[in-house]
Amino acid sequence: MGEGQREGKKPIVELDGVGKTYFRDKEPVVVLDNISLDIEEGSYEALMGPSGSGKSTLLNLIAGLDRPSRGSARVAGQELSGMSDSALATFRSRTMGFIFQAYNLMPVLTAVENVELPLLLTKLSRGERKKRAQTALRVVGLEERMNHYPRQLSGGQEQRVAIARAIVNDPRIIVADEPTGDLDRKSADEILTLLEKLNKEFNKTILMVTHDPQAAERATVIHRLDKGNLS
Amino acid sequence: MIPVAYNLRNLAVRKTTTLATAAGLGLVVFVFASVLMLANSIERTLGRSGRPDVAIVLRKGSDAELASGIEAQQVSLILGNADVAKRPDGKPDGVGEIAAVILLPKLGTDGESNVQVRGVPDDVMAFRPSVTLVEGRPAQPGSDEVIVGKAISGRFKGLTLGQSFELRKNRPLKVVGIFADGGSSFESEVWGDVHSVGSAFGRQGSMSSVRVRLLSPAKFDGFKASIDQNQQLGLEVLRETDYYEKQSEGMNVFIGALGISIAFLFSVGAMIGAMITMYGSIANRQREIGTLRALGFSRFSILLSFLLESICLALIGGAIGALASLAMGMVRFSMVNFASFSEVVFTFEPTPGIMLGSLAVAVVMGLFGGFLPAVQAARMSPIKAMRG
Repeated sequence: MGEGQREGKKPIVELDGVGKTYFRDKEPVVVLDNISLDIEEGSYEALMGPSGSGKSTLLNLIAGLDRPSRGSARVAGQELSGMSDSALATFRSRTMGFIFQAYNLMPVLTAVENVELPLLLTKLSRGERKKRAQTALRVVGLEERMNHYPRQLSGGQEQRVAIARAIVNDPRIIVADEPTGDLDRKSADEILTLLEKLNKEFNKTILMVTHDPQAAERATVIHRLDKGNLS
Repeated sequence: MIPVAYNLRNLAVRKTTTLATAAGLGLVVFVFASVLMLANSIERTLGRSGRPDVAIVLRKGSDAELASGIEAQQVSLILGNADVAKRPDGKPDGVGEIAAVILLPKLGTDGESNVQVRGVPDDVMAFRPSVTLVEGRPAQPGSDEVIVGKAISGRFKGLTLGQSFELRKNRPLKVVGIFADGGSSFESEVWGDVHSVGSAFGRQGSMSSVRVRLLSPAKFDGFKASIDQNQQLGLEVLRETDYYEKQSEGMNVFIGALGISIAFLFSVGAMIGAMITMYGSIANRQREIGTLRALGFSRFSILLSFLLESICLALIGGAIGALASLAMGMVRFSMVNFASFSEVVFTFEPTPGIMLGSLAVAVVMGLFGGFLPAVQAARMSPIKAMRG
C-alpha cells in the first residue's frame, strides 16, 4: 500500500471522549456520554439506535451544527469544539452535504434553484452555478424536472433534489438524517441506491442516521447507540 | 447571499397577508405624499403670485393687504419713485389696489366661505401681463362688472360667467369674464373696479396696497430705503416674492404639522402590522431558516434576507400609496389663507422628489417593522429551527 493510499485511509472524523449535555429547566440532561469514534474517508456508515439514544445529536456534532460539551471532535482536519458560529457555518458550507428526512427544500424555489443554494456561498459565476446545479440534477436523474417546484414533485423526487443539493458543492462528507423516513419502499430503495452510487463512484463519505434496518444494511459499517453511548 | 427571488416569491405566496400589510403601509405613504404635494402646491400657488422685480408697499405693521391702508396721495408719491419702471406710455408701472373679503355661499355645501375681492385699476392687465382672460370679456372701467379667477369660478354662488352676486346689500356685481394666471393665488380672487369696490366698503381715498415693478430686482434695496427714509409715510416695503413666501410658510407649517402627525400615527400602526406579518412569516418558515443556516448561510445573511423581504413588502405598499396619491392630482382643495382670511384653491402637485421621498418613507417603515423579526430569524439555532 503506497503512502497516498494510507493518507486516504486517515479518519475524516475523529471523535475523542465527546459528550453533550443539555439543560432542561436548569437540570442537566446527558444526551451523549463519552463517544470515541473514527470514520474513514470514503466509508459509508450508519448510526442506529432507539429514539432518544442521541444518534441525531451525534450526527449534528459531526456535521458542525452543534458543539460538544466536552471532548474533541475533529472533522476533515478541523477541531470543531472551539469554533465560532460563523466559522462553523463556513465549515459546513465547504465540507458538508446535508440530506434531511423531510427533504427541507425551499417551496418557493424551483429544483435547480434549490440545488444552486449552496453555490451562492461560493465565488462561482451565475453561469457556472447553473451548470453545476444542472450536472448535480443529472446525477440524481432529475435534469428534465429542473424547473419544477417541490410541490410538483413526488416525495422520492424531492429527496433526489435534496441529494443533488447535498452534492453540488462537492463536499467531503454527506450526512443524512433518516433520508428514507418519509418514503415508500420503492422510493426508499432508489434513494439508498443513489447514496451507494455517491459513495462508490464519487468516493463520498456518507454518515446516515436511520431506523430502517434495510437502509442500514446498505452501509459498510453500522454503529449502534444506546443512552448516549456506542454499544 | 440568499436570492431575492426567495423573498419576492414568499411575498407572492402569501398574497392576502402581503397585500393587507402593504395596504396599511400604502396608506401612510399616501397621506405623506399627499401632504407634501399639497404643501408643494401651496408654495407654488402663492409663489407664482410673486415676481422678484415687484415690490409691495403696505402700511407699517400690517402683515397682509387686508389689514393695510394707504392714503390716495401717498400712492402717487410711491409711483413717482425713481426706481419704479415705466411703461411704454411713460406712466409708472404700478397699481394701487383694495383688498377686501366677502362671504359667499359655497356651491355643493351648506356653508359659506370668504372670497377675496380685489379692487383693481383699469390698467391692471398691463401691470400683470401673465393674467389672461379665458372666457368672457374684460370688465368695463367704472362699472359694476367683475372678472373672476378660474380656480374659484363655479365654486361659489354667483361666481360663474353671466351670473351676479352681492358685494354689499343691494350692490350686485356681474361676472363678465374668467381669468387665469398660471395657477397663482390670483386665480382664487374676484377682480372689480377699484372705485366700485372702494365705495362698497367705504374706502374711498384709501388703498390696501401699492405694487410697483422696479427697474430691476437689484433696485429693491434702494427703493425700500427711500420709502423707509420718509418716516412720516409710515409704510413698509416687501419684495412680492417674500410677501407670498411668508404667507405660504404659515399655511405650510399648519398643513405640514397636521399631515405629518397623521402620517406618523398611521406609520406606527403600519409598522406594527408589518412586524406582525414578518413574525408570522418567520414562524411559518422556521424549517427553511434552519436549513439555510445548516447549508452554511450566516446569521447576517438571514438578517439581511428578512430585512430585504420586509423592505420589499413596504415598497409594494409604497408604490400603492404613491400611485394613489398621484390620483389626488385630480382633486382641487380649497383652504383659508390665514393671511387674507379668504379661500385659496390648491391642487396636489407631485414632483419626482416627493415620490422618491415617499418611497424612502416606505423603506424606513420596512426597516423598522422588519428589524426585530429579522433579528429573531437570524438568532435561531439551526437545529431548533429545523425541528420547527
